[in-house]
Amino acid sequence: MKLWIGIGVLAALFAAAFIIIPMLSSSGDDAGEMVRHIALGSKIRGLDPQDIGDTTSSSVGSQIFETLYTYAYLKRPYEVIPLLADDMPTISDDQMTWTIPIRKGIRFADDPAFREGRGRELLAQDFVYSWKRMADLNNRSTNYSAVFAGYVVGLDEFRDYTANNNHVDYDREVEGLKALDSHTLQIKLTKPHNFLLYWLAHLPTAAVAREVVERYDSEIANHPVGTGPYILVGGYAGKSSFSMIRNPNFRGEHYPTEGEPGDKEAGFLDDAGKRIPFIDRVEWSIIEEDQPYWLNFLKGNIDSAGIPKDNFSQAITVDRELSPDLARKGISLNKFKDPSVYYYGFNMDDPVIGTNKPLRQAMSLAFNRQVYIDTFLNGRGELPKGPIPSMFPGYRTDKVNPYVAFDLDLAKAKLAEAEKIQGGPIPPMRLALGGTDTTVTQMGKFFRIQMKQIGLDVEVDYMTWPRFQEAQKTRSHQLFGLGWVADYPDAESFLLLFYSKNRSPGPNGTNYSNPEFDRLYEQAKGLPSLNDRIPLYQKMEDIVIEDCPWLITHYRLAFILHYDWLKNYKPNDFANGTLKYQRVDMALRKRRLKESE
Amino acid sequence: MTAYIIRRLLYVIPILIGIVLITFLLFRAISGDPTDRIAGKLATKEYKDELRHQLGFDKPLWPQFSALHKGDYREFADNQLFNHFKDTFTLNFGQSTQYKQDISTMVKNGAGPSLAIQIPSFIIALFLEITIAMVCAFQRGRILDRLIVVLSLLGMSFPFLAFIIFGQYYLAYKLGWFPISGYPSHFGPGVLRYVALPVVLGVIAGLGGGVRFYRTVMLDESNADYVRTARAKGVGETSVMFRHVLKNAMIPIITQVVVIIPFLFLGSLLLERYFGIPGLGAMMAEAVDQADWPVLNAMTFVGSLIYLSALIVTDICYAMVDPRVSLR
Repeated sequence: MKLWIGIGVLAALFAAAFIIIPMLSSSGDDAGEMVRHIALGSKIRGLDPQDIGDTTSSSVGSQIFETLYTYAYLKRPYEVIPLLADDMPTISDDQMTWTIPIRKGIRFADDPAFREGRGRELLAQDFVYSWKRMADLNNRSTNYSAVFAGYVVGLDEFRDYTANNNHVDYDREVEGLKALDSHTLQIKLTKPHNFLLYWLAHLPTAAVAREVVERYDSEIANHPVGTGPYILVGGYAGKSSFSMIRNPNFRGEHYPTEGEPGDKEAGFLDDAGKRIPFIDRVEWSIIEEDQPYWLNFLKGNIDSAGIPKDNFSQAITVDRELSPDLARKGISLNKFKDPSVYYYGFNMDDPVIGTNKPLRQAMSLAFNRQVYIDTFLNGRGELPKGPIPSMFPGYRTDKVNPYVAFDLDLAKAKLAEAEKIQGGPIPPMRLALGGTDTTVTQMGKFFRIQMKQIGLDVEVDYMTWPRFQEAQKTRSHQLFGLGWVADYPDAESFLLLFYSKNRSPGPNGTNYSNPEFDRLYEQAKGLPSLNDRIPLYQKMEDIVIEDCPWLITHYRLAFILHYDWLKNYKPNDFANGTLKYQRVDMALRKRRLKESE
Repeated sequence: MTAYIIRRLLYVIPILIGIVLITFLLFRAISGDPTDRIAGKLATKEYKDELRHQLGFDKPLWPQFSALHKGDYREFADNQLFNHFKDTFTLNFGQSTQYKQDISTMVKNGAGPSLAIQIPSFIIALFLEITIAMVCAFQRGRILDRLIVVLSLLGMSFPFLAFIIFGQYYLAYKLGWFPISGYPSHFGPGVLRYVALPVVLGVIAGLGGGVRFYRTVMLDESNADYVRTARAKGVGETSVMFRHVLKNAMIPIITQVVVIIPFLFLGSLLLERYFGIPGLGAMMAEAVDQADWPVLNAMTFVGSLIYLSALIVTDICYAMVDPRVSLR
């Protein structure tokens, strides 16, 4: 019995220690350093730039790796500017040869992979090597198909050579990728590639050093070594928090002196011309659930945050402005357009929906988008006009899309037309949604109710994401819900979803095919000037609007909150590595946190 | 006993074969291949085909008996099922398709944080539950016993998530007693600060069910013939409870404990997700969601191995605590 009492006392002390010790200990402070605290909503999938395909890994990796080009931080519309390149590319008259000068004096961060552990200078050859890595099938890069496939002379052949080859020779020459000298890169194309400049500002084209890749081999995704402003301290794998510090080898840049109208008044040019980066250390936390994410933000543990759906009414008033409670804490609201479009796709290969245009139009007319946006997005959506979102060049404010209005009478009339084509009542249809959580099931019910208003029956299949993708690949969906986020600020990033050569298993999930659309698409892709492409984009959009392969629901609006101690925080949809522009007023942060205790 | 242990170990082999076969049927044959997700949004058909080849998804699912007829044993053996068995039994789990990390490293990294919340929760809860159950048995039928039963039922009625949300909001955010979430990047004394609240919540949430179970065990034993005999002989109630009832209640206690042990290793999905603890529970849930087949396979196999080992240890413990049990 005594033994049992002894064990009981020990257990009680053990339990007490678990409660008391944490209360007495503190998390420490950020003495003397400028520290940025950021929360990530999901885990990092890997920091090998050639293989980065998700936004979380990209937001972290882009602080470490750099590309030849980037987007001006403050300017809108988005403008591509040199980053590691010394100037804009020189493009031959036939648009087939690009020559890019590389900035001198850029050094990789120190790492044991380099001689004496000191990061060496970046050379043109590093880009040749990095892009061959992207082509190497053994590296399973998700980006090659989008960036280089079919465009660079000899690179597809290099890719074929890497198939079933575990000992790839990276010295093997690729005619279209050459380092003319230590700081001049030449790309020879098989055909004009008008979006190449955008891709050269895309993180997967960032430079890695061959000796680093060879040292860490299959573990390279856990050992990022780049030329960017920050370096990772102690790795990230298997951790829910990790740190970055300044890269001592970073060349140092200057804060931009130009922005868009209103930037000066908003204080975005207060640091114009100053040397960057400002922040000494970045503390990243992975917080996947909404409640701890939101509470950590309210507590001031993270500097900026999106607004979880369930906390929206706490943060935003009915007028879509910041709540006074949060404003008193020194929090500001940033509203901006997201380069995305969300839709329900109609499988054009389906014998019922694919051959019946009035049916697709009827369904589009029967869907109340405003209620959908208010119910599921707390109003954070913009009513759509067509597949090109409003933030893209080519969007027409005066364009009227007759099929995005909520008009039940017209929908019923179109349905009557559709029934004539069908030769009787439309049979029940099946909608596939990728997800099984509450919100997705509510969205499925909402869709059914909308279609029921015109007498259409829809059954909803809730699928795991891999199952959903499998069904799309095999073209077995009838209707499906999906979204698309653009990779670069050009409407082609959306229109490619209707090009017939991109049909499933490619990104054209509706399997839409229209010869006139294809002709215009191919014509537009060959035009170097955006201004020349825009009229063609608009013609393509008109065709898609009329054929209605999508029931477009909305363009997303992002609402981001940040504390006033975070300076120069201007969301940029496309630029990489923007933390170097930001600044944290640590004294103000300390004061605010003290006030809120 | 040695013969018994060897026999039990031999029983493990067909069970493991069954488990590996079921995981294959569930995850690969039925769930399809994850190539499309891995390939990315703009991938061409050619690339997806190549990727499928690299991952071995282009091979036949089952052995091709036509190859056997032709005498081509290599072709007969080269199929997804046989490769799956070979890789699993040689513990060659490969890399996560989602994170491209070595799975053994992922499991090693995740086991520490999972166990850091699960082991203290388990130990504290076990002793609290048994102690409270014994108090109930002492006080059976009286007001304290009834109060504990009511509180236990109340505790069991609340979902685990409610405890987490409440604890995180009031104890961490409002009162500031604990960090809201997080886990230090290196194991050390700082871990205590971050695991304290999850441990406290884990203990509280499980207390109701545990107390009810052990109370029933204690009461069953305290009504047994040998207890009545002890009382008739004039043995004091305290001695009856600790020397007789508790000792004889060890069999169901051990059974319960052993059932839990493998789940300690597998972590707690909700606690890990809400408190940002990079453990195996969250890893496994994510693997299910993303069809990260190699991770699921590894976790299922390793979990089964631990579970089967625990069952053998249980039988040995039975023999140690109860002289009526002999291992033959």
